[in-house]
Amino acid sequence: MTQDALVTVDTSALEHNARTLRAAVGDVEVMVVVKADAYGHGAVASALAFERAGVDRLGVADLDEAVALRRGGVTLPVLAWLHAPGETFERAAQHDVTPAVSDLAQLEAAARAGVRAVHLCVDTGLSRNGAVESEWSALFARAAELQAELPVEGLMSHLANASPAEDGHQAAAFARAAGAAREAGLQPRLLHLAASAGALVQEGARLDLVRFGLAAYGLSPFADRTAAQLGLRPALTLTAPVTTVKRVPAGEGVSYGYVFRPERDTTIAVVPLGYADGIDRAASDRAEVTIGGRRYRVRGRIAMNALVVDVGDDPVAVGDEVVLFGDPARGHVGADEWAAAAGGITYEVVACLSPHLPRRHA
Amino acid sequence: MTPAPLRLATVDLAAYRANLTSLVERMAPAQVLAIVKSEAYSHGLEVMVPEAVAAGVRWFGTVELEPALRLRRAGLGDEASMLAWQLGPDEDYAGAVEHRVDLGVSTLDQLEAFAGAARASGGVALLQLDLDTGLHREGCLPGDWPALVRRAVELRDEGVVRLRGVFSHVSETSPDDDRDALDQFTAAVARAEALGATFELRHLSSSSAGMEHAERRFDLVRMGSNGYGIPVTEGVTAADRGLRPILTLSASVVRTKRVAPGTGVSYDYTWRAEHETTLALVPVGYADGVSRRAQHGVEVTIRGRRHPIVGRVAMDQFLVDVGDEPVEVGDEVLLFGPGDRGELTIGEWADRTGTIPEEVACRIGPRVPRRYVGGVA
Repeated sequence: MTQDALVTVDTSALEHNARTLRAAVGDVEVMVVVKADAYGHGAVASALAFERAGVDRLGVADLDEAVALRRGGVTLPVLAWLHAPGETFERAAQHDVTPAVSDLAQLEAAARAGVRAVHLCVDTGLSRNGAVESEWSALFARAAELQAELPVEGLMSHLANASPAEDGHQAAAFARAAGAAREAGLQPRLLHLAASAGALVQEGARLDLVRFGLAAYGLSPFADRTAAQLGLRPALTLTAPVTTVKRVPAGEGVSYGYVFRPERDTTIAVVPLGYADGIDRAASDRAEVTIGGRRYRVRGRIAMNALVVDVGDDPVAVGDEVVLFGDPARGHVGADEWAAAAGGITYEVVACLSPHLPRRHA
Repeated sequence: MTPAPLRLATVDLAAYRANLTSLVERMAPAQVLAIVKSEAYSHGLEVMVPEAVAAGVRWFGTVELEPALRLRRAGLGDEASMLAWQLGPDEDYAGAVEHRVDLGVSTLDQLEAFAGAARASGGVALLQLDLDTGLHREGCLPGDWPALVRRAVELRDEGVVRLRGVFSHVSETSPDDDRDALDQFTAAVARAEALGATFELRHLSSSSAGMEHAERRFDLVRMGSNGYGIPVTEGVTAADRGLRPILTLSASVVRTKRVAPGTGVSYDYTWRAEHETTLALVPVGYADGVSRRAQHGVEVTIRGRRHPIVGRVAMDQFLVDVGDEPVEVGDEVLLFGPGDRGELTIGEWADRTGTIPEEVACRIGPRVPRRYVGGVA
């Protein structure tokens, strides 16, 4: 944790995004994915905001995350799809969490535990979770035998976003899976395949339910379209106060390794955020921040607890608020710019923020 | 079958103590200050501090004040001194006085605020002066130094501050730059003494400088990464230093699948199987601290054998190509550790993902439970 550094999450932006996305996809169910602490936004507070906005369901990776939502008072249906070996699903039954199961062992365990319903997860090309095509008939047949006690509510897969053609192959494979499930006697009410990118651009991929992750937080899943162009508002702002200001003569080094040596006399401002707070060290000497609405570049190496900004000859003072990233519509640097500076993706910028940073939901 | 953990970070407290004990012995007569910033490099502040005390450490550097106050309020490390020097604009100086935390002060404003808090409570401010010898972060610039020292001496004479120490940080840029920092430090201490200051402790060196240059140890060496068994000097391994990495990151295989030649894996299909092969799904991703740069040559260890990560690391998971090996669901996957079981060390992991081991340790995420072994405190 760092003095007065703060992650501010605008829950009204989360609600706005959820409503905007629902309107964009028409008459299908909307699931918002709140795994990884709601992509760094704070799982419970974000989930409650999405609940207020009328989303139908929430998705998480694992049961620990699902149980944490329940303990926080979240009542929406919750789906979890990444399970430990030997998972008993007793917690899922106890907390009314719907598991997505990928194999017979998980299906049997879910039935034994008495969960209310399951989704079946099939691999249509991503090669991660999900039963592969050769396993479908056995999985579907057993699910059909069990369905009196364990209803199969949904059938799901996940797109690789490799190319429109590859996504088309996956959609075709998913249609085969749905057909095989029906032949086996299953009637899954919710077929779902698409996440943010697929749901927004491929109407045909929306099926019965779409899963929104990044877009729900007001961040664009596309390289060529901004959040604002999608009608979304970034909800998260990362700020910290300037803790030190000093004048540095031309040619002197700054921070570890002296990567930055100013060519002329300049003023540097120290900001108490570093890689331990989740700021990617790879953004060193490249990323930009704003102070008082003006952009300044991070200079030198980002350290564990501090980074240095070159403010030139501007009158920046100790205590001034530094916005690392937030909503470009309010003049902030975008999380996508930090991702580009670090050679990564926007998802990482928010999801890797340290759990020790204080989060304020407003 | 008992559920295997999805993900696990194991902290070897016996190795932590052994590292620190060895450092305490090697640095003597200089004292060792253990750096426990950032929740003890994310190992867990409240667990690590009592272990370090058991290993003979009597100084802790929390960098920021808040964790030092948290330790004091919990009664942890009570027999030790604590030092913080990265101070915010609205710092809790009264808390520092009340809980006997040394503050490294860089400016007159900070000095007055600290002394004012002591005066108000009738206590004593444990003061250290922080000099900038080139790093240009915290620290008093040489031009401002005489004024800071004069005021500190006045406040000492007034009885509201105890002048405990003087210190600086070196940038570890080059031998020349670091020698320059040493000269500046020595000169600034001499200047301060000429102005009437006397210091109980002088310190300049952190882990590597403390190991390599006996003449830079002065009275105390600030040991960060070495304590955790991750020496930062390029080309130097923990074993070279007689140290042992204390952190192991592991996970369980949650799925295996046989795939045909040409099968693409994970987002964007950045990797395709050349031959028929088996893929193992490992449930840790970048939200857990596994960098997206961990592909192309980064290997994990399963059943004592190395296997490459293939395709993109996702938020919660990645895939490993295990070839025709008999890997099963539930098998333990070692990402990095001390290296005893064929796994990469944290230093090797950092090298292959384009960063430093401290960043690897600090970015292990909140979904990864910590398991502590070998504790005595």
